[in-house]
Amino acid sequence: MEVSLPQVLPGKAPPRKKPVLVLGLGNDILCDDAVGLKVAREIRQHLSDSDGIEVQETAEMGLSLLDYIVGFEDLVLVDAVQTRQAPPGFLHEFDDGELQVLPIVSPHFLGVGETVALARQLGLPVPRRIKIFAVEVKDPFTVGVCLTPPLRRVLRSIASRVLAAARQLAGDRIWLPSY
Amino acid sequence: MNPDTAKVWNEASSRANAAAHAQRRRVTIDPVTRLEGHGKIDIFLDDQGDVERAYLQIPELRGFEVFSLGRPAEDMPQITSRICGVCPTAHHMAATKALDDLYQVEPPPAARKIRELVYNTFMMEDHALHVYILGGPDFIVGPQAPPEQRNVVGVIEKVGIEVGRKVISMRRRLRELIAYFGGKVIHPVLGLPGGVSKGLKPEDLPPFQELAKDTLDFALFTLQVFKDIVLKNPDYVKLITSDTYTHRTYYMGLVDAHNQVNFYDGLVRVVDPNGREYAKFPARQYRDFVAEHVEPWSYVKFCFLKPLGWHGFEEGPQSSVYAVAPLARLNVTEGMPTPLAQKAYEEFFNTLGGKPVHHTLANHWARVVEMICAAERMVGLLNDPEIVSANLRVIPTAKPAVGVGVVEAPRGTLYHHYETDGRGLITKANLIVATQNNAARIAMSVEKAAKGLIKKGSVSEGLLNMVEMAFRAYDPCFGCATHSLPGHLPLCVSIFDRERNLLRQLVQPVSLKPGGRAEARAAGKR
Repeated sequence: MEVSLPQVLPGKAPPRKKPVLVLGLGNDILCDDAVGLKVAREIRQHLSDSDGIEVQETAEMGLSLLDYIVGFEDLVLVDAVQTRQAPPGFLHEFDDGELQVLPIVSPHFLGVGETVALARQLGLPVPRRIKIFAVEVKDPFTVGVCLTPPLRRVLRSIASRVLAAARQLAGDRIWLPSY
Repeated sequence: MNPDTAKVWNEASSRANAAAHAQRRRVTIDPVTRLEGHGKIDIFLDDQGDVERAYLQIPELRGFEVFSLGRPAEDMPQITSRICGVCPTAHHMAATKALDDLYQVEPPPAARKIRELVYNTFMMEDHALHVYILGGPDFIVGPQAPPEQRNVVGVIEKVGIEVGRKVISMRRRLRELIAYFGGKVIHPVLGLPGGVSKGLKPEDLPPFQELAKDTLDFALFTLQVFKDIVLKNPDYVKLITSDTYTHRTYYMGLVDAHNQVNFYDGLVRVVDPNGREYAKFPARQYRDFVAEHVEPWSYVKFCFLKPLGWHGFEEGPQSSVYAVAPLARLNVTEGMPTPLAQKAYEEFFNTLGGKPVHHTLANHWARVVEMICAAERMVGLLNDPEIVSANLRVIPTAKPAVGVGVVEAPRGTLYHHYETDGRGLITKANLIVATQNNAARIAMSVEKAAKGLIKKGSVSEGLLNMVEMAFRAYDPCFGCATHSLPGHLPLCVSIFDRERNLLRQLVQPVSLKPGGRAEARAAGKR
């Protein structure tokens, strides 16, 4: 995964060529943890410049996400999750507003909700609409580069659902009045 | 064996088995749930309703050694930096140093200085993130603040939006320096056996010198913030020095030839609970001093000082438990290598009653002292004419066999140990990460906090926070899985009575789906 670091200074939005960002998150050598990255790669193959959708992947989290998301108007995040309350391959779907800012910050970590809340507080131009897809995974703890079979089976269908959501965000924009 | 003897034997054996079984039942380690990635604390009460034992479970990474076998040793700086999204630079540098050792090659001075520069920059960035964002809710917002304010938004409200912007901007610029050399911050490609892959062009030097100067100002500013908010508040100071957060253990950290702090290189020094030198050894001898103890209730391996033997989770003279991380590093040194850090270091020990300091929460302050040291090192290195030298590599020629590298990760001493065949393909790989070094002391801290807060069956409402504070000061890594939503570490505390019935369970729930609240048990990240 090769991504260059965009230049971001507080209060300044880096120039973004496209309004919508699909950002795949994950660790590419931790088995199912990489599912977000693989979905992003799958989606990239089906996009053209005219779609207005940029696709990126990153192994970073927390504050580092700001480097990727600042300046985009809309954001679609794809990540792994393990709730054990849904079968592996299940796609959880939720919006920005449903992410809680937890009362206690955990060691090392800043969640997506907290990162976005912090950015808004500091006046950084973060995406207005955020859609989050979390793929229920089976094994995110073993070092390895292959997805488990239940995830391999649904990778394409997940990618097409995520892509449809991104296209809808991109398409909506055309009809938004621009005052 | 005659029938009578056999009967006695069998009875004794079945009693022993039953006892062992009962012992095991007291704690619930579900082989499935243990990998959920949250901090899981089980607390067991005795007849009086006081805490008998408390256990902390931390998830761990699997399969690293298997994954490494047969791969070229030169790939290890890339592979190991990928296993952890928190400390990529620390793993990258420890692996690079292990390769120097493997090929018996010493990098040229400029290469060493570039590595040190990148490493101190990383240390600065990571420490700043912890002081302001991650540890901030404990001290900047305050341990007694209402839960809804104890988050990053509360921190910014307390220090001001301008300071918040400054933190974000500093972080950005520090990462640009790391990216200049490593290509990427998250997966750097800088270290090679015997040198580095990229040098510093003279024309690129001025902006980095400017950055180093700003970084030092920022570190000194941070010390002032810490003094104003934390040290001027008698309640915080009381909390830092309270017995609940104090353990008299050994300490371990890297020192240079003058026994001063060095994050990148040196000898490993260990001091005893009275602050006297117990051992000093090169990385290659780590296995003579570090051993791992296994408990039946945990999959975590608890490091201890091998020559002393394992004496349990004990502190004081009979202890063989040691700690790493900022406080440990200050305890093992005889001073800081730079003047302003030295001043802050002296103030630290004068205020806290001399060396060694055994208060776990003093780690937060020690971290600020180290920020000043890292910033001063950046200034020093960027004003060293040799930093722009083009002599960056000594090509290795020795036949590889064994390589051990050590660095001080922000969270403490990190060992990488590889063995290879004659072609340099990995036959064995072992890592000892900071949190393993600290594991026994973290377990002790959690138990002590629980014992201090639960009396006669009455469970204090602030328990979750106070227990969390005990281990957050260590800044532990909970597994290296960096990415699974929601990215929080939902701490789950279960309290059991003497019959092992669940009395209470305190969890931080995370809503995942509209309409339905699912307890998120996502992999701990960062």
